[in-house]
Amino acid sequence: MKIPFSFVSALAFRYLCSSKKNGQYYNKVNNVHEELKAVSQFLTEYATCLMASGVHTSRIVRNTARIAESFGFEAHMTLFHKTIIMTLRSKDNSHVYSTVNTAKAGAINFEFNSELSALSWDAYDNHLSLDTLWEKFRAITSTPRLNDWVVWILVGFANASFCRLFNGDWIAVAAVFIATLVGFRIKQELGKRHINHYFVFTISAFFASLIASVTMWQQWGTTTDIAIGTSVLFLIPGVPLINGIIDIIEGHVLAGTARLINALLLIICIACGLAATLLMMGGKLL
Amino acid sequence: MIDWQILGSVLSDAIGAAIAAIGFSVISNPPRRAIPYTALLAAIGHSIRFVLLQFTGLDLASASFIAAFSIGMLSLLAGSRIFCPATVLYIPALLPMIPGMYAYRTVFSLIKFLQSSGNDSEAIHYLLEIFKNGITTASVLFTLGVGATIPLFIFYKRAFTMTRAAKRSKK
Repeated sequence: MKIPFSFVSALAFRYLCSSKKNGQYYNKVNNVHEELKAVSQFLTEYATCLMASGVHTSRIVRNTARIAESFGFEAHMTLFHKTIIMTLRSKDNSHVYSTVNTAKAGAINFEFNSELSALSWDAYDNHLSLDTLWEKFRAITSTPRLNDWVVWILVGFANASFCRLFNGDWIAVAAVFIATLVGFRIKQELGKRHINHYFVFTISAFFASLIASVTMWQQWGTTTDIAIGTSVLFLIPGVPLINGIIDIIEGHVLAGTARLINALLLIICIACGLAATLLMMGGKLL
Repeated sequence: MIDWQILGSVLSDAIGAAIAAIGFSVISNPPRRAIPYTALLAAIGHSIRFVLLQFTGLDLASASFIAAFSIGMLSLLAGSRIFCPATVLYIPALLPMIPGMYAYRTVFSLIKFLQSSGNDSEAIHYLLEIFKNGITTASVLFTLGVGATIPLFIFYKRAFTMTRAAKRSKK
């Protein structure tokens, strides 16, 4: 009598699985794997959110690894400007789960930076469950930004007082105030439409400096050059500049260089917008 | 005797810097509790630089470095009071010290240089202007960034445990 091998092996497999000890083993493997998967889903979401809100690289790495540690896992990650590669593994190194996630585009958001960092300590100290983490994460990321119009008027005042710091006269201060309001409104409106932000920076620098240059061809006041010079300064990308420096010093040289190049390009865009105004004013500048 | 004129100019400088810092910080949506501290840091930092420039004859880059360093140190103190990462506080506080006029003059003289074809003495004059202003801009930007970041590395552990809320009762 011939018994097919597959039949025998199926029986044997079923026998092995049904024996109590082995069954537990298979369940445990599955459980660990499922847990790694679920945690890594949260962690990549968390890390990309931090990346979008303008946090320097080593803080992202530390925060993420800290949450992983509260589950008893180790997280190791590589961060590039556009992607995150993360491997999550159990402490005994026998289970590994890797993910690659694309960074989301988003505006710089310091509130996310500090609240999400606090969340990582909360998870570490209180061993929050994954569901609670998701809940808190969603609560934090759904907090609205400051009102657009409030920001708009405050930036106007900021740039105007900046002009005053450079010893501009009051006519220049007023001109910079109006120029900033127009320029920043253009930036906000174009930003909402997700237009390429190099283009957005060039256009808003151009219009801001154009309005400030009215003082020059009308010859209002004596510090017209200060008015034109300060009118575009609200665009300076301070966050990527400083984050780039921090990243490079901490050894994340590639990520830091990417940030610095990004900031440099934005500064060149501002200079181009300003240059366009200066060229249009050509004769008056001499 | 206190010289009221000097005090007045330092004070107006500090207020200007504070207003500028508030405006530049709200662009990046900080936690509400961080805004007054940012303004305070900017006011202190900028008036330190103002005093150094006016009364000690220090150059712009060195004065900026000292000011940025003090901002960085103070941001660590303030950050642990209100549970904010130091970068959230000091990046907007540094912005009022950006050498905007030097940057403007660099762009301006670059254009004049490009337009000065056939006139060598004019071209050399503008070339010098480009280098003078460009180097000042770049070095001040660099010292601002590095100066404020150094305290972060000196007090490394403190810098990243600041948001730990173990002792924070309820937000």
